[in-house]
Amino acid sequence: MSEYTPFEMIAYTGSRVLEDEKIVFVGTGLPIIAAMHAQLTHAPNLYMIYEAGSLAPILEMGMPLSVGDTRAARKACFLKGLCAVFELTQRGYADYAFIGGAQIDMYGNVCSTIEGNNYNKPRVRFPGSGGAGAMAANCEKTIVIMALEKRRFVKKLDFLTSIGFGDGSPDYREKAGVMGSGPYRVITNQALFGFDEETRRMKLLEVRPGLEPKDIQELVDFELIIPPDVKEMAEPTKEDLRLLREVIDPEGYFLKRVIKE
Amino acid sequence: MLSSVSSKIKNVSNLQYEEKKFEFWGPTPDEARKIMVNKSHALKDKRTTLKEAVAKHIKDGINLGIGGFVNTRVPVAIIHEIIRKGVRDLTLSFQSNSICPELLAGAMILDPDRVSIKRVELSWWGYEIIGIAPLLRYLATNGMIEMDDYTNYGMSVRFKAAAMGIPFIPVRDHGGTDMELVNRGMMIQCPFTGRNVYLVPACHPDVGIVHVTAADMYGNARIFGALCTCPEIAVASTYTIMTTEKIIPTETIRAYPNLTEIPYPAVDALIEQPYGGYPGACYGNYWFDMDHLRMFRSICDEFRKTGNKDALKKYYDEYIFGCETFDDFLEKVGYKTLKKLKNLDGGQPIIV
Repeated sequence: MSEYTPFEMIAYTGSRVLEDEKIVFVGTGLPIIAAMHAQLTHAPNLYMIYEAGSLAPILEMGMPLSVGDTRAARKACFLKGLCAVFELTQRGYADYAFIGGAQIDMYGNVCSTIEGNNYNKPRVRFPGSGGAGAMAANCEKTIVIMALEKRRFVKKLDFLTSIGFGDGSPDYREKAGVMGSGPYRVITNQALFGFDEETRRMKLLEVRPGLEPKDIQELVDFELIIPPDVKEMAEPTKEDLRLLREVIDPEGYFLKRVIKE
Repeated sequence: MLSSVSSKIKNVSNLQYEEKKFEFWGPTPDEARKIMVNKSHALKDKRTTLKEAVAKHIKDGINLGIGGFVNTRVPVAIIHEIIRKGVRDLTLSFQSNSICPELLAGAMILDPDRVSIKRVELSWWGYEIIGIAPLLRYLATNGMIEMDDYTNYGMSVRFKAAAMGIPFIPVRDHGGTDMELVNRGMMIQCPFTGRNVYLVPACHPDVGIVHVTAADMYGNARIFGALCTCPEIAVASTYTIMTTEKIIPTETIRAYPNLTEIPYPAVDALIEQPYGGYPGACYGNYWFDMDHLRMFRSICDEFRKTGNKDALKKYYDEYIFGCETFDDFLEKVGYKTLKKLKNLDGGQPIIV
């Protein structure tokens, strides 16, 4: 098996969870890379929607570095502005939201606004919701990418930016007035999570080869649902790594990033 | 803002915040309407200079609506001139932006008597791949600016509601998140379906600033690439200052009127300013200058980490105060850089 980096594993896993003949609303970075990989492999009829206003572009100028990048508008089928693509999403045209964040809780709610829970004087201020809050509300299924660390998989968010299942009650999303069905997958380099249908709590689906479910639980601050049939995560093949490194992100803008705070 | 109807956010929220009493952070819908009907709607030549436009429209205490999206078609030339002129107690409104609010924030840090930001209604402030916005982080964590958070759709559709002449618009996001508690939207029960639905108030900037691909001398504008929220901001604002890469003949506009994204009555001042979005990108003309954005961002980050303003001051002295016009700035950037960015755009097809 080839050596791969954490970012490559996340991108590859992200690609695996995307189905063909769907529309994925992508954020900058790993979501774009995952969707490009899926298009080049098992999902040639997967299309991307970008929040600055483009639907189904052809990324022949290379990977967009921004969701408003000229490259993300290149040869699109439809190119308008933010209102148009978010309204398509409200209407039900976007199957997947593909977002990141700073913290996630057991019900798949995500924080990307502040750290420290004083809104007027936070300890850290992040950029804010951006598209994520609207994507998590109204794309049909939400996929979240997150680094697997205790300080990120938390019991309580400092700020709930992107809606998941809220407090876990069956009508939380309905009372919130949102349209999508909610969290679907959470992707890290060491584990893939889904959500339990009964309780809406985060459930371990797969772990990286060589790791045990208890290793994953140790990196998570809340109690995971760990079913008896946890699988091994598939690892990227040589060909997958070639696509990621040589075709999709040859400059290493995202895949060669050094992890730091 | 919590109304009698709400989601179950209170069951989840861990947030400390102060309840805001509702007010519009710019002209009310009635005020905005009145200003619009009292203007001349003649087809007249709107061409002017950045100096004149900014001197005429940018006043203390205004709500400044900023066009573009992150690093795309951001109205940097107008921002430079606003900083040269100076303006205090700004309310900023935008969906996602990078260098425009950072430049204003840096000017505030260097001299709050010249430029100051009082509050910001926004969705996102950062540089995407290049990193977080250091000066947003500095101002917010020090409690120096008031924030009002929405999603990118929320801010965009607030401009759209204003552009539609309606006071609010129902949306399917914000509910069930802490934005429901802190921002000025409100949950109601839909009178038709009986279900909860979130309302966001219209956002009318006093002055909107946008950069477009091409416009005729009256301000009829074409935009290629992502429209971002520029048409909505221009129409929503009580006054709009527009820079354009190129002035084109009115006969061209009239030959293909479907291509006009911003109609002339929405524009008060028009300036032909090639590279007016630099170091941001303008589809069909130039890509963004990652090196310049990185350089400015690292200067800002150095200030955030050390408190030392020297490098920041040097940037402003060199690139803003040391320039009479935006062309002077572009001359310092240099032909070779601009040529490279033009090539990186790849000649996207535009109709001008």
